[in-house]
Amino acid sequence: MSNSVFSVISRFVEEYRSSTPNKLKMIDAYLLYILLTGVFQFLYCVLVGTFPFNSFLSGFISCVGSFILAVCLRIQINPQNKRDFLTVSPERAFADFLFAHTILHLVIVNFVG
Amino acid sequence: MAHLCLFSLLALSLVLKTQALTPTHHLTTTDVARLQAVLSQPFTDLKSAYYSVVGLSKLGIFVADADETCRFIKSNLDPSSVESLFYAAEASQALPGCEIPVSNDTRDLLLATVSEDSTASQIHQSVSTLSSLGLPLASQEVVSALKARISKEDNVLTIILALQTASRLSQQAELGDILEEIEDLAARLDDLGGVYLQFEEGLEATALFVSAAYALSDHVDMEPPLKEDQVIQLVNSIFSKKSWDSLSEAFSVASAAESLSNNRFHVPVIVSAQGPAAISHSQPFLRLQVTDVLCQPLSSASVLVESASATSSKSAILSQAPFTLRDGIFELNFMSSKPASGYYQFSIAIAGDSRFVANHVELKVKVSTRVSINNMDLSVVDKDQSIGPKTTRVEYPTKAKASFMADSHQNFAMTFQLVDETTGVELTPHQTFVRLHNQKTGQEVVFVAEPDSKNLYKFELDTTERKTEFDSISGTYALYLMVGDATLENPILWNVADVVLKFLDEEAPSTIQAKTLYTPKPEIQHLFREPEKKPPTVVSNAFTALVLSPFLLLLILWFKLGANISNFTLSPSTILFHIGHAAMLGLMYVYWTHLNMFQTLKYLAIIGSLTFLAGNRMLAQKAVKRLEGK
Repeated sequence: MSNSVFSVISRFVEEYRSSTPNKLKMIDAYLLYILLTGVFQFLYCVLVGTFPFNSFLSGFISCVGSFILAVCLRIQINPQNKRDFLTVSPERAFADFLFAHTILHLVIVNFVG
Repeated sequence: MAHLCLFSLLALSLVLKTQALTPTHHLTTTDVARLQAVLSQPFTDLKSAYYSVVGLSKLGIFVADADETCRFIKSNLDPSSVESLFYAAEASQALPGCEIPVSNDTRDLLLATVSEDSTASQIHQSVSTLSSLGLPLASQEVVSALKARISKEDNVLTIILALQTASRLSQQAELGDILEEIEDLAARLDDLGGVYLQFEEGLEATALFVSAAYALSDHVDMEPPLKEDQVIQLVNSIFSKKSWDSLSEAFSVASAAESLSNNRFHVPVIVSAQGPAAISHSQPFLRLQVTDVLCQPLSSASVLVESASATSSKSAILSQAPFTLRDGIFELNFMSSKPASGYYQFSIAIAGDSRFVANHVELKVKVSTRVSINNMDLSVVDKDQSIGPKTTRVEYPTKAKASFMADSHQNFAMTFQLVDETTGVELTPHQTFVRLHNQKTGQEVVFVAEPDSKNLYKFELDTTERKTEFDSISGTYALYLMVGDATLENPILWNVADVVLKFLDEEAPSTIQAKTLYTPKPEIQHLFREPEKKPPTVVSNAFTALVLSPFLLLLILWFKLGANISNFTLSPSTILFHIGHAAMLGLMYVYWTHLNMFQTLKYLAIIGSLTFLAGNRMLAQKAVKRLEGK
């Protein structure tokens, strides 16, 4: 059982390393960063307490929102998905990403207090 | 459906209208005396002399010093002024033996004033003067001058003056048109609430109208077109004011009063009860004053009670009973019909002269009586009725000698009867209260005694049931009986007996709660919201470092993946874009520390639009490059 799981994982990692374009790998690195930041914030909340609760929510939602927007960017940039996004060029996707982030940060800074 | 409603409404209004109006305002003898006093003031000039002398003559009073007044008039007379001649002539008419010398010039002046070009007031004054001085005048000319004047100036005062003038003319003249003006003028009166009828020009105009209208109607012997209700409404308006601002106002009221008491057609009747309309055995006569508007008794009148009925049962007691006249007062011995105590509605008719107006009056009369208490029995009844009740009879106004005891096993009971002292008929007054007063604590409790079907009053006190009213305070209570009613002449407060009440579970007599209501209450200290406990700074700092650490990881990964800025074109749009983007991030920080949302949005709009334009250009360039490179 663990053997098959291990082999699946190693196969997956190998495929990832070889076939994924660099741009996507960079976005994946960014995603990992965001994820870790969110996890650490949650850890703090669990261990120490929810004071101040609005700041925690603001930070956590910032991570979640950024993660989602980055995932969207990744999907739209991926050349394998080109058929689904005929009207959206990678530049357009990036511009949307920036615009959405502006709004997200506006709300987050308002809420963080 | 609508027609039926309208018709029923009309029928209803007609039914209501048939109930004649009676005057609500009239002059009493004191008011007449006051009017006389106002008119008797010493006069300063000819005009005030005219008002005083003629006004008093209308009230039937003659000036004390006639000769002195006559000399005054003659000395103040200005023969070149029509107004002056008018005042002098009219005043001298009212004084016996006073003659104004008349010259030809005066006569010519007066005759010349009678023309279309003079004002109505001038025409009135000259015609009155000519008539008072016995000089001939051409009535037809006057009539045509008046008619021309009315058509030019259609106001109320002009027409009133025309009416006054017409009443001094010869009866052969054609006064028909002027007579019609009375009806037109009456239509101009304002009806206020169905009670008052007056001109908007005021009281003086209304009063002058009344005197002018009746003067002219008497002169031509034709009934004025005023309905009875209108006459009464005019009476209300004119006599509602009991103190007068000016001599002319007082004069107008005196003229109106005189014409309403002395004309040939309508004489309003004022009926008022002398004192309160209340009758009892000691005071069996109902006395009425029946007068005209000048408070002069109408001796030719005969007063009759058409019907008298009790207001509660509507049964008629009297029908067609006459009043007898004694010393100017009409009286009727009502007690001879042996009425029961209560209120009675009298419908009174005044006959004797066809000119009487408002000669049906409704009057509410009270018949009062004295009450006596019979068969007052006090008893203490055992609850389980094993021992028979001990009854003690008490006579009013004595007090029972022994006091009564009532505790949880016994009830205290009281029965009595209230009867009319003279007739022995049972009464049910409005107030029959039983009051228990604790002399020591000053507490009192009041109960109501109710009559049963046979008009026997009963009161029962159950100590266990009523202990909350007494606050369970045992002790000696003085028992009082209170009887009162509007128709009773002798209300009763009788200390019947002393009752000793014993309550179970007696609490220590606490002072009445009211005392503690007004003492200052304990002060409330406001507790401010305590700030939540913060974790120690070390922990916070450690976690801040932990949260920021993935950024380092990101940089390392990106470096490993080979991220570079080799494609960085130094075009203006690129630079501008990056600067703008950095500015936006900086703005976020400043927003967090200093700004509010509105300011941020303002700056964001500016920076954002620049960044957008630059970014758009930059990305377009990149897209072009990408497509070229493919």
